[in-house]
Amino acid sequence: MNIAILGCGTMGMAYAHNLAKMPGVTVTGVVDLNAERAEQAAALTGAKAYTDVDSLLEQKDLETVAVCLPTYLHKPFVLKLAEKGLHVICEKPAALTLEDAQEMKAACEKHGVRLFIGHVVRFFPNYQDAYRKAHSGHIGTPKMAHFKRYGSYPQGMDLWYNDPGKSGGVIMDLMIHDIDFACWLFGEVESVYASIVKRAEPEMEYAQLTLHFKNSSIASLTGYWGYPGPFTTQFEISGDQGIIRFDSNQVQSLDIKRVSAEAGDGAAVQVPASPSLHDPYYKEVLHFIECIRDGSEPLVSIKDACYAVQIAQAAEQSAQTGQPVTIGGTVL
Amino acid sequence: MKKVKVGFISFAHMHAASYLLGMLKRDDVEVVGIADEDAERVRPYSVDRGIRYYADYNELLAEELDAVVICSENSRHAEITKHAAAAGKHVLCEKPLGLSESEMLEMIQVCKDNGVQLMTAFPCRYITSVRQAKEAIDAGQIGDILAMKGTNRGSMPGGWFIEREKSGGGAVLDHTVHVMDLMHWFTGSKAEEVYAHAETLFNDTEIDDAGMVHVKFANGVVAVLDPSWSRNRTFPTWGDVTLEIIGTKGVLNIDSFAQKNDVYSDVTGKAAWSFWGDDMDEGLVNSFVESIRDGKPVEITGEDGYYSARVAIAAYESASTKRTVQLKAQG
Ligand SMILES: NC(=O)c1ccc[n+]([C@@H]2O[C@H](COP(=O)([O-])OP(=O)(O)OC[C@H]3O[C@@H](n4cnc5c(N)ncnc54)[C@H](O)[C@@H]3O)[C@@H](O)[C@H]2O)c1
Repeated sequence: MNIAILGCGTMGMAYAHNLAKMPGVTVTGVVDLNAERAEQAAALTGAKAYTDVDSLLEQKDLETVAVCLPTYLHKPFVLKLAEKGLHVICEKPAALTLEDAQEMKAACEKHGVRLFIGHVVRFFPNYQDAYRKAHSGHIGTPKMAHFKRYGSYPQGMDLWYNDPGKSGGVIMDLMIHDIDFACWLFGEVESVYASIVKRAEPEMEYAQLTLHFKNSSIASLTGYWGYPGPFTTQFEISGDQGIIRFDSNQVQSLDIKRVSAEAGDGAAVQVPASPSLHDPYYKEVLHFIECIRDGSEPLVSIKDACYAVQIAQAAEQSAQTGQPVTIGGTVL
Repeated sequence: MKKVKVGFISFAHMHAASYLLGMLKRDDVEVVGIADEDAERVRPYSVDRGIRYYADYNELLAEELDAVVICSENSRHAEITKHAAAAGKHVLCEKPLGLSESEMLEMIQVCKDNGVQLMTAFPCRYITSVRQAKEAIDAGQIGDILAMKGTNRGSMPGGWFIEREKSGGGAVLDHTVHVMDLMHWFTGSKAEEVYAHAETLFNDTEIDDAGMVHVKFANGVVAVLDPSWSRNRTFPTWGDVTLEIIGTKGVLNIDSFAQKNDVYSDVTGKAAWSFWGDDMDEGLVNSFVESIRDGKPVEITGEDGYYSARVAIAAYESASTKRTVQLKAQG
């Protein structure tokens, strides 16, 4: 599988690390407007570095492209890649609006290429375990859930995260992980209610939202950009016969304390980590590549990804209007 | 020393037992009697301890008493409180204060008219971590409050709690009021708008056992609260009281029952949390007794009880209309 990485920021470099060691995969190109970043990714993967996508597209044997660009650029680049007959693995959220996400889906179908959206939470072993336990009768029928996702304010190239027109804000960018997981767990959403708190100096955005599902289940989600503590994820799923809980601050299988600690970790965008042979991002990309190879359906479909965007938009709308938003009609 | 003479009216809510034990620890309190229509229910607390039993609470009210503690079914709080006030007794009333806005306002008025104090029993105010949180917030440690998320989850209590005529509501009424009161206390503001869900999800009951309550406060703070009876049989404890407060300068988390040992017992057949923190019920009782003894205003008023119970009442309205409900500003 010949694959290229488009965008060599936080996520692009994570892909580079993983793809470089994935058997049967060759990274043939890495692209970033910023030449230094492209060179870094090239050094990791042995790929050729480019500063514009058109030069990459001259590569004859390229099969798949991983799109790790800022969210507002997902659509134009995915459309371009689809037209060139390339399969696409695109970071979440698919796009900033349902319409854009559906356009991407339609374009990939039209050109006969696969499109995968990186809803990586479905590949996190803790969330997978919870999903399996919740769906195998261990807690009876799952009825309610809480999800929490807190991190520092993300630092993107040219502060693109700070612009809601580019990132979609904390709900669309961060909480969409839990929105997708909650919908995977409980099915179709009946209504959404949300509140958002946003401030500058220091920059922060916090939201709390409630999803009410068609089967009457309830999920409460909170998300926070600008959290002063360590990157934190938590969930609780309660069924009529049991409860499953996770707290990222209580599962340290390895803890090292050093006498002279250097300044705190300065990751531009914090992502959760736990000692494991392969991180969830590796498992995710490997799964998508296998889907391309054997034509099978992925764990998270483009339809799921569109639905998550739709719910995130509804939440944003609820926060603006102060009223619940009902999710009309059936899913596309 | 002049003792504060206290009577107990109804042990329908078993908090009465723990309030009684708190009172009995004090040597400035004399528990004069316990009234309950069910003699057997209160035998271990009354006759067995040498405390006089009354089948009719009016007879207890006829005694020389300073105050009464009312732990009846929710639907009887108003009636008993008004009788007690008319008899000139100060009242410590179990939460929720009442079942409608009008009946609660009447309880407050009748107590005022009779010159007695009305305190709402919100023991969570006396959780030590909660008190220290209040001090930290007042000292500006997390700046101004922006948002809050609370949980007061529990287990389905059964009995009259799930009979609507007696309880007035299920989990959403039972468990919204405590943390709502803390939110009012911490923000110094009042809930103004409510959006909520109320469902029966966990138990085979008529009454709601699950919900989610969103609130907007007059000062702009937003909050959400889970009052569900969602703790299952093997959960290591009965429930929780948690509150996360997002401020302009920091984040504060209260996990009231985190002071516990983990116990793994083959004898009980499940893992359990053994709580070793301070006793909040004792704190509540002490505060009430001291207010009555020293003639000071009670720390948690009838108005406080009213302000949080009406959020729960509005939550049911919101759950049925599927819209936000506005609360009227009161005088
Ligand atoms: N799944 C996850 O856990 C996770 C975590 C972080 C980010 N993301 C998503 O990944 C995507 C990228 O986020 P990031 O944090 O890596 O952003 P980033 O700003 O760190 O990286 C984006 C890179 O794209 C480059 N770029 C911008 N425009 C370009 C163009 N026209 N051509 C070539 N390169 C261009 C920038 O120079 C930058 O290096 C976003 O959609 C984000 O939501 C997902």
